[in-house]
Parts: sequence; C-alpha cells; structure tokens
Amino acid sequence: MRKDDVLLDNCLKCSDCNTACPVVTAHPAYPGPKRLGPELERMRREGIECDTEWVEYCLGCHRCDLACPNEVNVSELIQRAKARHTKTPVRKLRDFWFARPGLLGKLCSIAPAITNFSLGLKPVRLLMSGAMKITPERKFPAYTKPDLETPVPNAANKGERVVFFPGCFIQYNQPELGRSVLELLQINGFQPEVAATGCCGVPSLANGDAGEARRRARENVESMSSAVEAGARVVTACSSCGHMLKTGFGRMLEGDAELEKKAEKIAANTFDLAELLVAQQDAGKFNSHFEPAATKLKLAYHAPCHQKSQGIGRPWYQLLRQVPGIDIQDLNAGCCGMSGTYGFKKEKYPISMEVGSELFAGVKDSGAQAVATECATCQMQIEHGTGVKALHPVDILLNAYTESVRL
Amino acid sequence: MSNVKSNQFDVIVAGAGIAGITAAAAASHRGLRVALVSTGPGSFVLGAGCVEIQDMDWTTPSLEEAVNFFSDLTEIAGCGFRGGVGEARSIPTILGSFQTVSMAPFYMWNGDPTAADRVAVVGIRGLSTFDSSFVADRLAYHSSKLGQRTTYIATEIKLSTEADTLPGTLQFANRYDRDAGFREELRAALKDTARAVRLLILPGILGMKSGWNEIEWLERELGCMICELPTLPPSIPGMRLFNRLEARLRKVGVEIYTGFPIQQLQIENGHCKGVLLETPARPLKVSADALILATGPFSGKLLGTHSYSFSHDLRPVDSSGAVIANNVFGAGAILRNSSARGGNAKAVLSGYVCGMLAAGAGVQYAQR
Repeated sequence: MRKDDVLLDNCLKCSDCNTACPVVTAHPAYPGPKRLGPELERMRREGIECDTEWVEYCLGCHRCDLACPNEVNVSELIQRAKARHTKTPVRKLRDFWFARPGLLGKLCSIAPAITNFSLGLKPVRLLMSGAMKITPERKFPAYTKPDLETPVPNAANKGERVVFFPGCFIQYNQPELGRSVLELLQINGFQPEVAATGCCGVPSLANGDAGEARRRARENVESMSSAVEAGARVVTACSSCGHMLKTGFGRMLEGDAELEKKAEKIAANTFDLAELLVAQQDAGKFNSHFEPAATKLKLAYHAPCHQKSQGIGRPWYQLLRQVPGIDIQDLNAGCCGMSGTYGFKKEKYPISMEVGSELFAGVKDSGAQAVATECATCQMQIEHGTGVKALHPVDILLNAYTESVRL
Repeated sequence: MSNVKSNQFDVIVAGAGIAGITAAAAASHRGLRVALVSTGPGSFVLGAGCVEIQDMDWTTPSLEEAVNFFSDLTEIAGCGFRGGVGEARSIPTILGSFQTVSMAPFYMWNGDPTAADRVAVVGIRGLSTFDSSFVADRLAYHSSKLGQRTTYIATEIKLSTEADTLPGTLQFANRYDRDAGFREELRAALKDTARAVRLLILPGILGMKSGWNEIEWLERELGCMICELPTLPPSIPGMRLFNRLEARLRKVGVEIYTGFPIQQLQIENGHCKGVLLETPARPLKVSADALILATGPFSGKLLGTHSYSFSHDLRPVDSSGAVIANNVFGAGAILRNSSARGGNAKAVLSGYVCGMLAAGAGVQYAQR
C-alpha cells in the first residue's frame, strides 16, 4: 500500500483544515480544503469526473497541512487536482507565463527600462486586464539587469562554502537584495557562491503546471548537486524557494531514483538564511557587532506561510529582536493573500485582498514604521494593502552592523 | 546578544489540548521559557471544553488552585469560564439532552433550565445540523424530568448566505468575525424572539475569534441571555476557545510550534533532553530541561512502550515500574491508568500540576 493511501484514509473529516483555510475564512463560497483535497481525490480514484474551477482558488499556503491532526497531505492533493483542471483558453495562456517567472524574467530584463516603462502605462495595464485577465489594480515589480555574481572570496576568509539559491525575484527584480544576502553571509564567516539555477517551480505548481515544475526541479538539482556532494550547504532567502527545495524537488522527481536521491540530499542540506544564522549564533559564531541604537525602529514582523510550513521556528524574528534599537512585534495575522501570482489574477484579486484584510488591520494597529517579512510577494501585498513600507529582514539586519564590519 | 540558544527552553509542552494549554500557561506564569509543540487544534474541533469536576474528589490537593488558575487564564483570554469546584449546572446539547458540568465558557453557562422560565431554541433555515424543534421538544422533556417547568419554544430565523452555498456554521462564524453587516443582520433576526424569552439557545456561530466583547454585545443589544451549542465539526465554540487561548499563550511569550508531530523523544539514561519534530528536509531539535506530555491516550509510540503508566508524581513508568525519564511528566488523557473520571477536569488539574512540577514548585499531587 502506498503511503498516500494511508494518508488519504487518515482524513476523518474533522474540518480542522477548513477552519485554518484563509480562503474559506474570507470567501464562504469556497468549498474548502477538505472537499477539494481528500474528497475529490477519493472520487478521482473511483474514476468519477469531479473537476471544479474552485481548485484554482487554493492559495497553496499549506495551512491546512499544518492544521491536520492526522498528517493528511491536503494541499498536495489539491495541487494534483489543479494539475488536472481544465482552464479557459485565456487563463491557460496567462497561467502559462505565470508558471514561468524565470523565462518571463529573462525576457523582461533584456531591456528593463522599456519593460518597466511599458508595464507602468495605464493603457498597457488595461489591455493586460482585458486580454490576459491580469488585474490593473496592482503595479508590476520593476525588472532590472540580472547582474548578481559570486563575490570575490576575501583572501582572509576561509569560511564554509555555501551555495546561494537566489530564485526569480532576486535574480530579475532585486539583485541588490541578493548582494545583501551575500554580504551578510560573508560577514558571518561563510564563503558564498551564487548558484546557476532558475525558478524553483513553486509558481509552476501554483499555476497547475506540474510538467514545468518537474523540468525546473530536474535542472536545479543537476545544477546544485555537485556542490552539495562536495559538502556545501544551500542557502535560500525566499521562503517559497526554501519550501520547494526542502519539500518539492524529491516529490517532483519521483520515478527517477538517481535524481530523487540527489534531490533528497539537496533538501537535507538546504537552509533558510536566518535558520543558518541562528545556528551560527548557537555555535557562538554569529557576528553581533551592531551599531549602538541611535534611533528606535518600530517594526512589525509577518511570517510568510511558506516560512511556517518549513517548520524552523521564527529565526528572522528571533534575530531581529536582538538588534539594538529595534522594537519588533510578530503580527501573527494569518496569510497575506498574495500567494505569488494569485493576487495578480483579475478574478482572484478581490479574494486576495479579502484574505489579507486581517493582516492589513494588524499592520495598521501595530503602529509599526515598517514591516519585516522575507517573502517578496508578501512585501508587495502588504505595501499594496496598507501603504506601509515592507522590507526583507536581510536589509534591516545588514544595516544594523557597524561600518567597520561591512564589506 | 542573548545567551539563550534558539529552540532551547526550560520546558516543552507537547499537545495543545486543555491539558497542554493549561500546563504551558502555568509554567509560563512561573517564569519559565516554554515551547508548545502540537499538530494543531485536535479535539477542540469536536467539543466545547466544558469541565466536569463533579465526578472528582473535591479535596484533591491543588484542584481548587488549578481551577482558579484556569478560570483566570480563560478570563484574560476573553473566553472566561463560569462555575468552579463544587458547582454543577445542566447544559443543553444539540441532541436535546442535558450534560452536567461544573465549568463552562460564558457563552454556554447560561443554558441551565433554572436560568430562565421561557427559552427559545433558534434554528437557522437550511442549517441541517441543528434542528430547533427536535432540540426544544427534547429539552422540554428532559427539563421536566429534572423537575423544572421551563418552556422551550422552537423558532427559526433566516440568514443570508453567500451565493451558491448552503448555510453552514463555519460560514456564519467567519462572517460574525469579519462582517459588521452580518452581525447586524443576526441581531435584527433575533430581536423579536428575544423580546418574548429570557434565554436564546443558538447553534454555535458567534465567531471563531470573538471574545467577551463581541458576544456580550449581542446579549446586551437583545436584552437576553445566550447559550451557544457546538454542532457537528467544526465546533465553533471549541475552535474559538482554542484560538483565544493560543493567542493568550503567544502574548505571554510561549513559543508555538504547530503542524509537526514529534518523531522522537531524546531520552538518554533516564533523562529527556528534548524532542525531534518531524519537519521538512530534516528533523527540528527542540531542547528543554523538562517535558510535559499532553499528547492524549495513544502515546505509546513516543514512550517506546505501549504498556506505560504514570507514577504518583506523574512520571512515566514502564511495565516493570521503572521511571522512563525523570524529567518527563504526563498531563491529561495520557494518564490512562488513573481511575479518576472527568476528562477536562483532569486535564486542568494535571496540566496545572505538571506546569508547577516543571517549575520545581514541588506541588504534591495525590493521584486518584
């Protein structure tokens, strides 16, 4: 008997998953994870036709998985239903591109000035809204030249070799954040190199494109495997990439024993940047030469869903609260509702905003000057929903160091 | 910088039922750094958390202290329990029977047939999990058997639903939390019935996160007491209790690890150093000086033997009577060798005592 079968029968229909689902909470018409996951899977196995458009409305936040007392792989079952779902031609075309942010990034960053100018034009956005069903309410993130490179190793720096998996957003939109990650690693005794990798595949799965996710997993595993075999650890600074590297590659490569084994090894050696820094601190090797607090900074912390699903505690929150002058509050106000490309889809935009409303209220009530969160699309959503600046914790931490330790 | 290592605590509490939550709160109250690990809200989705002390010996050491602590905890959390040691009330169920409890959340405590002479049982049109005529008939019958002359009237209100959905308690509860328009709609729908009676019995719909302020608002507006009954899962009153208590624990600094089962207890030479959680990619090690197991009656896998029991000081022992680990304590339903009845009363008591034991307070616990 497959492990999946055991898991499916573990579903006792207790509805814990429905109570945890952000979409159910915000949008009562949504049938919920219990229905769209285990129940539809049972029907599929009986050969009963059960496709429904609602499977597209799953955020992929994994909160149902965490709520289930019986370890049912609820969100994975919904993901499978998504992959089998038949879409309208327009959505199919749109989601083809949303499933490929790496390819999109490559194209858009050929001439970033032109891309950004065009994407900012109202007529272009209205056209995309009409023809591609992309909401005109949101601004696209600005594209830039992908110029993130492995830093020249400091001659004195004989630190541990680590491989940084940048992901699409850092590569094509925020390479300067990537450089901050590399600097933070260096001043904490690591010798980082930038992995020659593409998209992690989370957007592919979210858009129902399992084939594309498999291709991304294969390429990424092949690209990082030799470094990991040689003892290097892999670092992520995007919680969705981290989640995928830890949980998705092996699953995507099932059937290819050799690649699957490599994927498992990569998973076992993948660390969120903060997870790595906290471990460094536990070992007494964390660089804590912070500038004495000149000004007070009041921050709110939002834990991205894919950070929670990694089961690593709250390492960024723990690190930031130790920085002099920072007063940080964990909002614990649920999912932001953005879920990568989900919030850009015209038909899903209202739900995305409704899901985020609790977080928006939390940010406003906190009176924070800025929000710290390690997911790029959570940052977009928070700024869109509240007007409050949202930052990656890397930048906050790096800025706190005294000038003398900066590179 | 802090000297405390990450994922390092004074005490780990495993399990987030009534026992685990009470233990975590008690240990935290004594100044301990506490981690609460759990696989989610568990059985809160089924019940409402009522406490049946009446089956226990009221002179059990620490019982009153534990009950008072739990009362305070729930009060601060916004879901205050009413009642206490020596009290007994008959609370209605959705099957139209009465269960006798000593403590219940304020939104259930008013259901006793002595509380009002005229009571309306309010159903919601289309909500198949709550049949108001059935409940009212049965409550009338059962209350007369209790010697009461309470009149139960069945009535039904109509509430709007989202397009293409059937009325469901979770939908109503989420809307009660998020939508002022819905709260007003509910108030208006109940207004006329409330004028004719002293108590309204409703299916549990008054919010997943609401507390005293949000529910008392409705009672005040209607000028009438409310008793809310848990329906089929998800039990809204139960989930609300969990949400409020969990929020309270976060507020007092308890670190919460949700969603990952314990893979293994790290026991060496009769001493537990922590637990390994089954997290993605590799297990997460959470360490502590003491462990409180509130993981329910099926915890044999964790203790490495299915024939475990607990000593008088709540330490787990194997079939030969040897202590499995000297810094592990059991709370709640895991204490299956105990003859004492009263699930949640035992959970409150043993959870509190474990929290104290972990804090080294040396509270004596005479197990029955």
